[in-house]
This record gives sequence, C-alpha cells and structure tokens, in this order.
Amino acid sequence: MTPGSYLQLDDVVVTKRELPDREPVTIAGVVTQVRARHEGAQFDSDVFAIADGTLPAMVQEAAEITTTRVDPELYVPPAPGAVVHRASGEARDAALHFDRMERRIPMGTGRDGVPVFLNADFLDGTRGAHVSISGISGVATKTSFATFLLYSVFRSGQLGADGANARALIFNVKGEDLLFLDHPNTKLDESTRAAYKLLELPANPFPDIRVYAPPRAGDSSGAPDVSSRLTGVDAFYWTLEEFCSLRLLPYVFADADDERQQYTMVVHSVTAHLNRHAVPAEGGISIDGRRIGSYGDLVDHIVEQLTDDDTRSTWAGSAVNMGTVNAFARRLIGSKRDLARLIRGDLAQRRPHQIKTAESAQVTVVDLHNLPDRAQRFVVGVTLKTEFEEKEKSGTGRPLLFVVLDELNKYAPREGTSPIKEVLLDIAERGRSLGVILIGAQQTASEVERRIVTNSAIRVVGRLDPAEAARPEYGFLPPAMRQRALLARPGTMFVNQPDIPVPLCVEFPFPAWATRKSESGPPPTSTMKSIVQGADPFAVVGGRGGSQDDDIPF
Amino acid sequence: MDAWDPSYGASYEGADGGEGPASPSSAQVDTDVEIPAAEWAPIDVSPSVRRPDVVFLVDGVRRNDAGLWTAEEDGTSYAGLAASYAAGVVRCDLGRGQAELVGAKVGRGLFTASPTASDVQAGTVRYTVHRIEGAGEASKLPSAVQPSLTALEIDISSEARAVGSDGADLLVVDGPLRNRRQLPRTIGYVKTQQKQYLPGALTPVVTSLRPGQRTPVFHLGTVWGGWSWYLRLPGGSGAPWSGIVRVECSPDLAPDEAIELAELSSATLPRFASASYKDPRAPQNLVPIAGLERRLRTMLGDARFLHRALTKATALTR
Repeated sequence: MTPGSYLQLDDVVVTKRELPDREPVTIAGVVTQVRARHEGAQFDSDVFAIADGTLPAMVQEAAEITTTRVDPELYVPPAPGAVVHRASGEARDAALHFDRMERRIPMGTGRDGVPVFLNADFLDGTRGAHVSISGISGVATKTSFATFLLYSVFRSGQLGADGANARALIFNVKGEDLLFLDHPNTKLDESTRAAYKLLELPANPFPDIRVYAPPRAGDSSGAPDVSSRLTGVDAFYWTLEEFCSLRLLPYVFADADDERQQYTMVVHSVTAHLNRHAVPAEGGISIDGRRIGSYGDLVDHIVEQLTDDDTRSTWAGSAVNMGTVNAFARRLIGSKRDLARLIRGDLAQRRPHQIKTAESAQVTVVDLHNLPDRAQRFVVGVTLKTEFEEKEKSGTGRPLLFVVLDELNKYAPREGTSPIKEVLLDIAERGRSLGVILIGAQQTASEVERRIVTNSAIRVVGRLDPAEAARPEYGFLPPAMRQRALLARPGTMFVNQPDIPVPLCVEFPFPAWATRKSESGPPPTSTMKSIVQGADPFAVVGGRGGSQDDDIPF
Repeated sequence: MDAWDPSYGASYEGADGGEGPASPSSAQVDTDVEIPAAEWAPIDVSPSVRRPDVVFLVDGVRRNDAGLWTAEEDGTSYAGLAASYAAGVVRCDLGRGQAELVGAKVGRGLFTASPTASDVQAGTVRYTVHRIEGAGEASKLPSAVQPSLTALEIDISSEARAVGSDGADLLVVDGPLRNRRQLPRTIGYVKTQQKQYLPGALTPVVTSLRPGQRTPVFHLGTVWGGWSWYLRLPGGSGAPWSGIVRVECSPDLAPDEAIELAELSSATLPRFASASYKDPRAPQNLVPIAGLERRLRTMLGDARFLHRALTKATALTR
C-alpha cells in the first residue's frame, strides 16, 4: 500500500488487467489478511533503533486479497504493481456477486458499513435451502441471528408473496428469550434504527406471533407454564387419544430406532397395539375395557399388561424375552414424570392445544425451556413430524415453513439413530422441495449429523471454540477467518453462501424486538385476543370432527 | 577475541603477536595540535557539547554484475566489467527519532580499456561505457569502479545537504575522506586500522580509551592526510584495539574547527554503534550505515536478472 492509504479486513477491492487482444479483465476480491512491518529491519529489536532515528526503515503495509470474481471469466493473474481501488457501489455489488442475485435478503452490514445480502435462491429451496449456524453459546448470538434472518425474510419483501405467506416455527430452548418477539424493544436507539433503515427494513417487532408453552406441572386446568410473558400464551399438549392414534410412543424413547437395541421391537408393537385398540373415552382412552385418564395410568397399564404372562404376547409379540420387556418397561416408567404434563387425559379435547403452523400466526414460538430433556425431544420430534407430514400431504412447497431449532447436536447427533433424528434428516434432505427450511443452530457442527450440515446451503459461524474451529466442518473458512472467528464479537457472524467464494463478515443490528422481559415495551393489542382464543366460547361442543349439522345455524 | 566475524578480517591488522596496527606509517605526525604529546590522555565528551540533531551518513555499495570480453576488429580482445554501484544518504533526525533515506542514486557502468566498446542496453537498464587507461587487465577493473562510486557519493551528499541543512548538522562519510574533503562539516570514518600513525609512546593512550572517549586530535602530513583522532565505540569485546575507529576531517580546516568536529564525533558516533549479535562487524559498522547498505543493495536490482539481461543483450549484438 502506498503511504497514506490503508485497507482493513473485509474491504472489497477491484483492479483491472489489460489484455492485448480482448477487453480488460476486472478482478475483484476481499481483504482476508493485513500486515504491516518495517522494511529494512532484520531483527525484531531493530524497531528500537528505528524509533531512535538511527536505522533507516520504511513502514510497509500489505493486504492479502482473496479473489471473489473475475469478469469476464478469463483467469489471468492481476499484474504486479497494478493499481487497486477500494470498490464501492456497483463495483462492490459485482465483486460480492450481489448483482447476480435476483432476490437478495439483507442480513446485516459488512465491516465497511454497507449492507450485505443473502441470495434468496439458496434459502427458499429454489437452488438450495437450510441454514446451519455454529458458535459458542452466549457470545455467538446464534438465535439472535436466526431471528433477525427470519425478520429480514418476512419484512424485506424480497420473497414477494412467499415471504408474506411464509410461516416460522421457533423452538425456544433457553430462558424466555424468544417469547417477546412481538414486543417492541425499549432499548432501541437511534443508531440501531438507522442500521435498520440502511438495510431497508422497518425497525419493528414481529407483527404476528403465537406463543405456545407446556401446561404447568401438576395443574389440572392446563394453564401455560410461563413466568414472564403473561398474555397471549397458549398451552400445548396431546390428549391420550392423539398419543395412541398418531403413534407417538416411539418419540418417548431417544434411541427407539437403534437396531442394536432389542427393546425397540417392543416399542413398535406396543405402539401398534395402542393404535389398534385404544378408543376415546371422555378425554381419556379406553383399552381392553379399562378407562385410562392420564399418562401415568397408561404407563402403568402397559407395564402391567407386559409383565402378565397371559397378555404379554398380544402386546409385544411372541418371541420377546423378559429381559427385553423389562428394558422397555424401565424406560417407559422413567418417562412418566417428564411427559405426564404433556400427554393429558383430563383436559377438554375440543380446546385448541396442538401446534399447527398452518392455523397459527406467522411465527409460532414453542417454549421448551421449562421442560426436561426427554420432554423437549418428544415435543420437537412430534411437532416436526406432524408439520412435515402436513407438508407431504399438501404436496406443495408453499407456503414456506422455516423451522428454527437450537442445540441441533442434541436432536440430531452424529452417532446413533432416533425418530427425531430421522425427522430432521428427512427435512434436511427432502424439505427443500416441500418448502420446509431448517435453520439449525449448534455449538459444534462437528457433533451434528453430517448429512444435515452438508445439506445446508448457508453456513454461518459466530465465535468459535479454538478446538472446534480446527475441525473439517469449518473448511469453508479461510485460515485467517478461522482465526478471526475465535475472536468474533457478539453480533458478528461469518456467512458462507454457495455463490460467493469467500465467507462474508456480517454485523447484524441489535434486535428491534425485546429479547427479555426487562427490555420489552407494551405488548401489542393482538396478544389480548389470544387470551380469549385460549378457550373459544363460540366453538360447538364436539364440533371438531362432528357433523356439519351440529354447527350453529347462522 | 576480536569482535568481528573472521570472514571480514580483523578490525585492525595486528603484527605477529603484537598489539595494534602493524605497519608503522611513514607519515609526518604532529601530535601537539590539541595538547602537547607529553600530556596526552583519553578525553571524555565535554558536557558543553551540543549534539547535532541531524546527522547525515553517506555510503556506497557496488557489485560486479558480469565479466565480459570484447571482440575487436583486429582479433584482439579486452576484458570488460559490468558493474552496478549505488550511493545513498541517510538523514538521522535524532530529535524527531526518524531515520530516512534522503537520496540514493544507482549507476551502472561497463568498465573496459577497449577503444571500440559502446554502451550496453540490457533490457530496461543501461550500462554506460567508462573507458579506462592502460592495458586494462581483468584484475585491475574492479578498482576502476571506485572513482565512479566516489563521484556518486559526493554528488549525493551535496544534494542531501542542499535540501535541509541547519548549519549544525554533521556528515559522516564511510571510509577515509580522500577527495571528499571539500564537503562542509564532514568527517571520514575509518573502521579498520592498518597503519600505525601514532608514535609508540602514545599507543597506550589509544588502548586505554574507555567507550565514548577519544584521543586528542593529531595531524597527518600525507597526501590524503588531515586532522585525525581515535575514538572507542561501546560494545567492543575488550581486546585492546576493539571498538577503536579513526575519524578524520579535512586538513583545510583550522585546528579549532577540527577539535570541534572531534568533540561532535565523540558525542554522536557511539550512539550509532551496532550490537555484536546483529552485525558481524560490530561495533564499528554503524547501524545507519548497515541499514543504508542493505537498502542500496536491494536498489542494485536482482543480480541473476541483470546477468540474464546482459547475456541476452550481448548475444544480440554479435
């Protein structure tokens, strides 16, 4: 660099190469490494002689550029000594391939303070889908980036009608952070508003949110178990009848599909038996002429039937030994405490209690943070399976459904199989054509099922653990960027998308919605509505699935 | 132990088992200039000396790029030497703590006795012909480059002074002054001691110098003589003549002016002494000079490239 000029990391630069027989080639790139040194110094201690004024030396600054674009595609090197300019405006867009993006979703600003974009083709399934976000918990701001990305998809208008109709399903696994997406953020200042304006986004909270929380443990009324958000929260649960007819039993077990486990055979035959023989009875179910009103009762009944020599073969098949049955029973009994509040026989069936994004708001938040691990898996697995099956049935990729799931390494670990992992794999591999987009976040991408990570078109990295950053899953980061990822500040992410050869360093603005109770503004009026919706007074008793004649005749 | 790397020779040429420079000089030496010879003793830097803020240091480097043979019409042949040389000036602004290259020039010449030789254009660089007197044996050619380099050094040092001299600066020339004595406020700096100028009785004064001390000024009556004094730089090995340099200034100066320059030099030069782990010729090879030489060597260009260009250029003319 000539004295007086400078380049910083992530600056976009462009140079031209004249060719004898054709039009000049424009070569553009991004600064990936910078250094400065004393030219003329042989030893490190020579700096003292230089500062003293005894040793002549020149300060020489140099920047390493990673080429992002050669236009036209004639791969000649830039001439040494050629003048390089910092790119702005159209030249910058061209260097970062933004000009080729038909629909571009703003995802923040680069280090130069100018917006950077995500190619929507790689998000909505046109050419690719799914986002994988990795980073250390707490400082990597994975969830914030995921919600900001969703906000940008919904509000930028780049996806047209698809964006407006798209739905999102967010699982809230930590704290009550995501329960205030529709509350304005009181800490929003002018600079943040300006940042939103720069990205051509309104600085508002999410307009249309539906929050689901599990029923309070031991509470027979089924009131949602949340402490900070008081309005606009609905409880979700499954009735015993749904549990049996929808074959949800395998989701109780973390490793129910693992071939090495003998007891999985029992799981599947018991599931089939429940599906065949359970009949609804006043909220609960009735099996073998016996009424069962709670999950605990159901577990007890199953265990009783399995240990009884007379009935075991009808439930579990003939060739099952007692050890296997005991293994099954032990795990099933263990699930009683965790799942009793979610699988109910005592609450009204007609009351809306299922998570269905098609009938819910634009953004559906499912709060899991109060639930124990097994219950979290159950909810995630069953909800995703239901949603995915709905999508399969409708057979169309629209409307889009974005699924935000943190701690993906828990639900789809690299080792072993489970029904939840199968659902997630299904989404990763077929979701693109069905319009189900997975935005998965995890601390360590190396511990997530490889097929899910490789199917993600967009990879995002926040601050990384040093040992984790060395793993091959982050091969898309150039070495210098890998080092920077160890130091990334909250709000800084490195985003890799398929059509830009270098990951982009992105700073996304502070959320315009509240992320905790203390910073939330007044709740929107629409949340008042859902209190009423919790129990719709106009719903006809037994109207769900009943005959049309029973409807109110006006 | 001599502090210098053996490949550079010794900082002084010792006699067999003797102390100090070997060959006694035949020069007329006047040792009574500053103080009578009988009272000679090491002199400390006077506290009243105002050290110059700006010190200029001049040096040149040279490199033989290629040896050539000319083809004369009568079938004889002369030896030729294509050499690159460069001279430069470092301006050390000790007040601001900034050392910079204020002037540097590169010259390239073809040194030969051949009457028919012409300039050689090798790629983008041009070797101008310097015709030398005599038979022009190949062995004499390297020393023929020196006058051109000295001329370049004089050129560059007067240019550097022309820009920013505050009248209180000091110009240090690497090596004896020789024909550079017309430069104002200039001292010659001699690293290696080959001749013993002082009478034997005064030698102990030189060897007993402590770092930063100097001997009194004495006068040499030779052709290239002038005012001269010895100075010990810090960082020597402890050997009697280690770290000793001889400094000289123009004989055209009055004795008072010479003594003033001697005072200035002993106040200034120790600061520039190099450290033994960084420089094989420490402490005599001054830090700015070493830095300047490195810079000048890079300015000479890549030797292999020039050799290739010369080969190509001479092949074309045949």
